[in-house]
Amino acid sequence: MPVFKTPFNGYSVKFSPFYESRLAVATSQNFGILGNGRLHVLDLPSSPTPQISELASFETADGVYDLAWSESHESLLVAAVADGSLKIYDLALPASSNPIRSFHEHTREVHSADYNPVRRDSFLSSSWDDTVKLWTIDRPTSVRTFKEHAYCVYSAVWNPRHGDVFASASGDCTLRVWDVREPGSTMIIPAHEFEVLSCDWNKYDDCCIATASVDKTIKVWDVRSYRVPVSVLNGHGYAVRKVKFSPHRQSLMVSCSYDMTVCLWDYMVEDALVGRYDHHTEFAVGVDMSVLVEGLLASTGWDELVYVWQHGTDPRAS
Amino acid sequence: MATQSGAPPNPTDGDTQKPELAQQTNQDQQESRAEAPKQSITPSVFVNSEPMREEQVQNAVKFLSHPKVRGSPVIYRRSFLEKKGLTKEEIDEAFRRVPDPQPSAQAGNVNQDGQVKSSSNNQSQAPVQTLQPVVATPTGAMGTLMRYQFHWSHAILAVGLLAVSGAGTAVLVKKAIVPRLKSWIRKIVSEEENDLAEKGGSKPSLAEEAAAAAKAAAAAAADVAKVSQEMLQSRNEERRNFEEFTNLLDVQVQEMKSMTNAIRKLEGQTSAQGRSSFIDQEDHKVTISSSQQPYVNGKADYDLRSVRSSSPPKTAEPSIAPHPKSYMDILAMIQRGERPPNIKEINDLPPNPNQQPSNSRLAPRAKPWEYSQAQNMSGQALQSPLNVEGLISNVQDNGINSQLNGDNSVPWWARKNVKITEIENEDELKAGSYTSQTSEKPVQRTWVPPRPPPVAMPEAAEAIRRPKSSVQKEQLADDQPIAHPSNVTDDLQRITKISESGGDVEINGGSSVLNSTEIHEHGNGFERSETGIESV
Repeated sequence: MPVFKTPFNGYSVKFSPFYESRLAVATSQNFGILGNGRLHVLDLPSSPTPQISELASFETADGVYDLAWSESHESLLVAAVADGSLKIYDLALPASSNPIRSFHEHTREVHSADYNPVRRDSFLSSSWDDTVKLWTIDRPTSVRTFKEHAYCVYSAVWNPRHGDVFASASGDCTLRVWDVREPGSTMIIPAHEFEVLSCDWNKYDDCCIATASVDKTIKVWDVRSYRVPVSVLNGHGYAVRKVKFSPHRQSLMVSCSYDMTVCLWDYMVEDALVGRYDHHTEFAVGVDMSVLVEGLLASTGWDELVYVWQHGTDPRAS
Repeated sequence: MATQSGAPPNPTDGDTQKPELAQQTNQDQQESRAEAPKQSITPSVFVNSEPMREEQVQNAVKFLSHPKVRGSPVIYRRSFLEKKGLTKEEIDEAFRRVPDPQPSAQAGNVNQDGQVKSSSNNQSQAPVQTLQPVVATPTGAMGTLMRYQFHWSHAILAVGLLAVSGAGTAVLVKKAIVPRLKSWIRKIVSEEENDLAEKGGSKPSLAEEAAAAAKAAAAAAADVAKVSQEMLQSRNEERRNFEEFTNLLDVQVQEMKSMTNAIRKLEGQTSAQGRSSFIDQEDHKVTISSSQQPYVNGKADYDLRSVRSSSPPKTAEPSIAPHPKSYMDILAMIQRGERPPNIKEINDLPPNPNQQPSNSRLAPRAKPWEYSQAQNMSGQALQSPLNVEGLISNVQDNGINSQLNGDNSVPWWARKNVKITEIENEDELKAGSYTSQTSEKPVQRTWVPPRPPPVAMPEAAEAIRRPKSSVQKEQLADDQPIAHPSNVTDDLQRITKISESGGDVEINGGSSVLNSTEIHEHGNGFERSETGIESV
């Protein structure tokens, strides 16, 4: 299975929604504490060689914590940078013309970026300054700022069916559901007793949302009856850093954790853990499932490696 | 705050608790949701629809009325209540009910008469915008603050109590115990006197007795002194012997050293340093100090990511994951004020902030979950504009609504068994490499056109997908698979084409032309016998 070694510590990996063989990795020097950052765009080999090739890479002054592919434009990328800015890169332009935009409004690190898959014209950024901001590429300033959380917002994710609804996960231990047409959040779910690091919507059930927390659990919620979770998934040994629902199977999701493993879960099944991969040798921090290729997984971690493998195979097999 | 009117979620709540039949029931919900509020398409399911719970509100009022809570920023009070599970309405109601002399930290909109006229949203948002969270761990800060203050007052009380009790016991001792001791001593003395008196001898005076006692004591002391002196002497002797012994040992050791040195010199080896350290170790019996640095494993104060001042996601972790050693090194370096050496100065600002992005060559591809939605909607009246939004961008909702409502009996939107498709896909994917299959999207139709053959050259696949600007509209108009009403819009054509063409949809943002006929053109053998499309 292909592996890529990044010079810096990996933070996030995402597949392109246009090209089956393309993905991008956000990395930060010195574990993201203090240092530069780099955004890599990688191409998977067509023949089964173990080497992933790098299509492009962009250096930033501060670490890159997350990225988002544009859903409307196959060569645009959004990078969430630790100095509080969001940078837009265009792969079709030469490196000397990049980045094409830099939006600097957040006063703290930008922790996540997510592109709207329904409307395809806007994206969200969530930051440690407790706010979520809505942007479009053509506007120099943010369209909306959502400020209600009492602590860092670690993740903001669009609903895959409703183009105006999104959810945000925060260090104030709550999950909030928002509607961009409303002035404030529409739902507040006290999801965990500890910080909520990640959330994701179920692609096939628009009322189902999963949250991952420092308390080592993943909880699956139905927003219609949010007092009690639908399911609580235990199995990680340390904080769960990211959770992502499968684009192909309704009840399948993947998660990565500080226990260095990537786990697959089926929350409708009695024994929910359906797969575990422990290929990383440091914190596994980013994971993604491809929308275009069913079963294709990618993960990255602080061990500076990016793995791409098919579910059911060994990521480290060559 | 506008709560949603419109379709009540109650009818859907009961039968959609477990999303096992999600797809079917999703459609039910969406139908019901979309049916009722024709004028607003907002999904009411994403809003708290429960009525306010009076008990919760009262608890919140009690909480907010507490003097300690009054002194804390509003954002922390709201956060605390949110974590307790109160809805926004309940929190706002509680704020409304609490007569509120606002502390100076809050900006603006203070109502002295206790009635918060402006909505409590303003109350929370304005101070939130002016305040910045100062405490590193604000979660539960109010509770802890209260507890801390209690601790301080408790501590002071405790100290005071201790002092008082100490003084009291001292007084007691002085008053009660000492007299008792004295009386006891007097009793003993008086008994002795009585004994002596009974013996009848000439009364030895106290002085004589004292003298005798003193002599005896002196004698005893002298004995003790002698004994201790002897002991000292013996100890000194022993020490001297020991020293002589050690000296002799040293001498012997040095002789051995010199001999070994001589031997080694003779043998011609040169690692004298290592050996000397070895010998030193023998000499001084030095235990080898641990060469590993103490692994600060789980004990570090993670709030001190000093550059990222205090916001890492592990401030209240149940069990802190062991961090890599180099991570701890870098943290330590930064806490000391040093800058890690490998950082470069990079200018990452856009060279041209008004740079136009390049032209997009590919059209967005529909998502797998949008397929299944389109599939499942086929048997039912298509009413939800949301599905269509998923498939098409820039569509007028009203237009779609009216259009789709009239097409209940689209025959080729029949459902396909989704499970089979997924299994098929799985097998295919597991067998082959991932890149060779560019068309493995879950194809869910009953009449499955043969798949386009796996593309041998990905570049060709992209070339195929490049939108052609040729006039396809006429062809589309001819190629309508069903006898649509003549006023069907391009949008509807797009929907039909999406399902037909296996999902390789070309939806250009600007144009309304659907170019799925390209796929037909590449000779994939689509037999559109039912639909009568000519594959050119």
